[in-house]
Amino acid sequence: MTRCFKWLIDQSGAVAFMAGLLALWQILSYYELISPLFFPSPARTFSTLWTQLLDGQIWPPTLATVMRMVYGWVAASIFGVILGALIARSMLAQGLLNPILEFMRPMPASAFIPVAILAFGLTNQMSTTIIAFGSLWPVLLAAIQGFRSVDERLYEVADALRLSARERFFKVALPSALPDIMAGARVGLAVALILAVVTEMQASLPGLGQNILTAQRAFRTPELYASVIMLGVIGFVASGLLHWCERHTLRWRQAHG
Amino acid sequence: MSRKFLGLVLPLAILIGWEAIWYLAANPLESISRPSQIALALMHGLSDGSVLLLTWQTFESALLGFVIAAGLGVLTGIFLGLAPQLERLVRPTVDLLRPIPSVALIPLAMLIYGFGVRMESSIVAFACIWPVLLITIAAVRGIEPGLLEVSHALQLSTWQRISRIVVPAAMSRIAVGLQLALAIALVVAVTVEIVINPRGLGYGMMSAQQSLQFDRMYALLLWTGLTGWGLSRLSQTLIDHYSPASRAQLPRSPA
Amino acid sequence: MNHETYGTGPGVSAPAPASHTVALKTSNVSMAFGPRTVIAPLDLTVNAGEFLCIVGASGCGKTTLLRLLAGLVTPTTGTLNFLGQAINGPARDRAIVFQDYGRALLPWRTVAGNIALALEACGIPKDQHRSKVEQLAATMGLSHAINQYPSQLSGGMQQRVQIARCLAQDPKLLLMDEPFGALDAITRQNLQDEVARLAQERNTTVVFITHDLEEAIYLGDRVVVLAANPGRIAADITIDIPRPRNQLTTREDRKFLEYRHDIYGLLEDH
Repeated sequence: MTRCFKWLIDQSGAVAFMAGLLALWQILSYYELISPLFFPSPARTFSTLWTQLLDGQIWPPTLATVMRMVYGWVAASIFGVILGALIARSMLAQGLLNPILEFMRPMPASAFIPVAILAFGLTNQMSTTIIAFGSLWPVLLAAIQGFRSVDERLYEVADALRLSARERFFKVALPSALPDIMAGARVGLAVALILAVVTEMQASLPGLGQNILTAQRAFRTPELYASVIMLGVIGFVASGLLHWCERHTLRWRQAHG
Repeated sequence: MSRKFLGLVLPLAILIGWEAIWYLAANPLESISRPSQIALALMHGLSDGSVLLLTWQTFESALLGFVIAAGLGVLTGIFLGLAPQLERLVRPTVDLLRPIPSVALIPLAMLIYGFGVRMESSIVAFACIWPVLLITIAAVRGIEPGLLEVSHALQLSTWQRISRIVVPAAMSRIAVGLQLALAIALVVAVTVEIVINPRGLGYGMMSAQQSLQFDRMYALLLWTGLTGWGLSRLSQTLIDHYSPASRAQLPRSPA
Repeated sequence: MNHETYGTGPGVSAPAPASHTVALKTSNVSMAFGPRTVIAPLDLTVNAGEFLCIVGASGCGKTTLLRLLAGLVTPTTGTLNFLGQAINGPARDRAIVFQDYGRALLPWRTVAGNIALALEACGIPKDQHRSKVEQLAATMGLSHAINQYPSQLSGGMQQRVQIARCLAQDPKLLLMDEPFGALDAITRQNLQDEVARLAQERNTTVVFITHDLEEAIYLGDRVVVLAANPGRIAADITIDIPRPRNQLTTREDRKFLEYRHDIYGLLEDH
């Protein structure tokens, strides 16, 4: 009972803190201590957001951004896991590819946008390619790490039971590598969202990124903030979903004797 | 020894093959430059100082943003790490602000600062502060309770407690967080330049592409990769040298 | 403490003597890793239903020998035969229980899931899994923990899960690599008796590796002493102590003590 009570106290404290910040912002804005152009009051911002939510204005670009992000990320994750499994199996492949992989690790994926524009123009294709390319690396590197660390002993158990190659992969290797893969996929999703916004701004593709740019050019900052908030919500929900997935499939890790 | 050479096989093979295709193909694609031309363009750019200027511009914004984020993040992180009740209060707000992609704030920063260093470094700072803050909080919370008890027993002042006990104990983990943030700083800086800011390597690549100087574009891409790689090696060496206990604590991941 | 309850029990009748059909045979088998000869050419026969214990000091090659019998390693020279067929690799009727039980269980599967892995491998239809798993869990005293993960279990329980999984393969040969080495004395004794009972009931051929001489004599129909550097058979002793055996009385038996005395000397010499 006291745990529940404590949680309630914590939550209301946090809500009060947030409300306090917003109230402060509102006051500063009201007395014009901060620029109403750069920092429109919470009242204006949220009422704009609310209007956009109600009249459906905000949903198509939100959906567009989400779809972009998800397509690229899913493609990259599947490809990354398969490729990672293949690379991890072969010491030769690892020796050959390691420098390239280590080189690509710190590389900004957005640096490839000029090349992508050259290849595909300012199109959806360019956007999807960059998003998939960018979210591939965290997943791939994590998958290689995960598949490499499968305990030898488990493979011997698989050998002793004469599991087929398919069974070896799905029953031993993949579950063992899954914690690493999911960690990589989480990073990949964050990258996918960022690149979705970037490519939308770059190529004027429909989506929240373009919304923000348009709002900025017209100096309509409440709308700008509204789209930023929506992006924050997408990021929050997406990582929350992944976190929930992780906790569910990896619940064996939390189990303690 | 042979392992090192094995790693060179594939890159060399690609370069040689690529060059060979150019030589042999009847109508080579203009937009996929030959490695030799790319190398030439890079050397040109280095010798006339343009590449170094662009690199400096990127670093200027990246480092400025990084330093701001590191300073604010570490200080706030130490404070919140030592005061768990306050941390619980603030945490949900942090969790709501953190998922906002830093690039989404580019137009706002544009509005406030226009083009330039301040705009870019403010975006970098926003992106970098969250990992630093969260990792610092975790690092401080992870300090052996015994150490903090010692500081109470010795009746150290708050400043002494922080500087003599908290920081050294948490430093190795904080260092890894800073390493991560540094990598993020570079990536975000280049991204801002690609999108809009007419400074730095990102801008160099975009303008090279737009003015059809493809050799230069690829050269800058290669150079950006080398810079990122070099920076990560440097930070790893520094960490290994000054706090070797922190090796392999966090998975390294690009932003 | 009533040792009779831990023993194989007075109610079980004395078993028929182990048949003299040769089940397992190694001919001239040796194992070398580069310049290092771990096992010098050796010949070993095990009869069907026999419980063979192999003792030796660390590094004498007993684990390597077991892995050869499991088919996880190929010998440098010689051949191995089980039930008339050459051992070219692992087979499901030759089950191996590893010493490091923590690493040999799938941490993401429950006890039931781990046991079921063997059933899946053997191609047993899914609708039969549940009953078989429950049966095996009951046999190994795991019924109360059937939905727990390995990390929630003690060492002894984890080893029971591994044994249960091996039993699920319905093996004709059970290979055990110092399975109780990492467990406390009481758990060890319980498991010794359980394995002895199971082997007898199912008439499984067992090759049991241990560095514990008393365990070897207690469990085995035969004890083979392996000397080290390189691994070779120093002695092959038939244990003529009737079954069922008892932790308290058997270990005080005159013959038991004699065997212990004799073999101890052999272990010392080499």
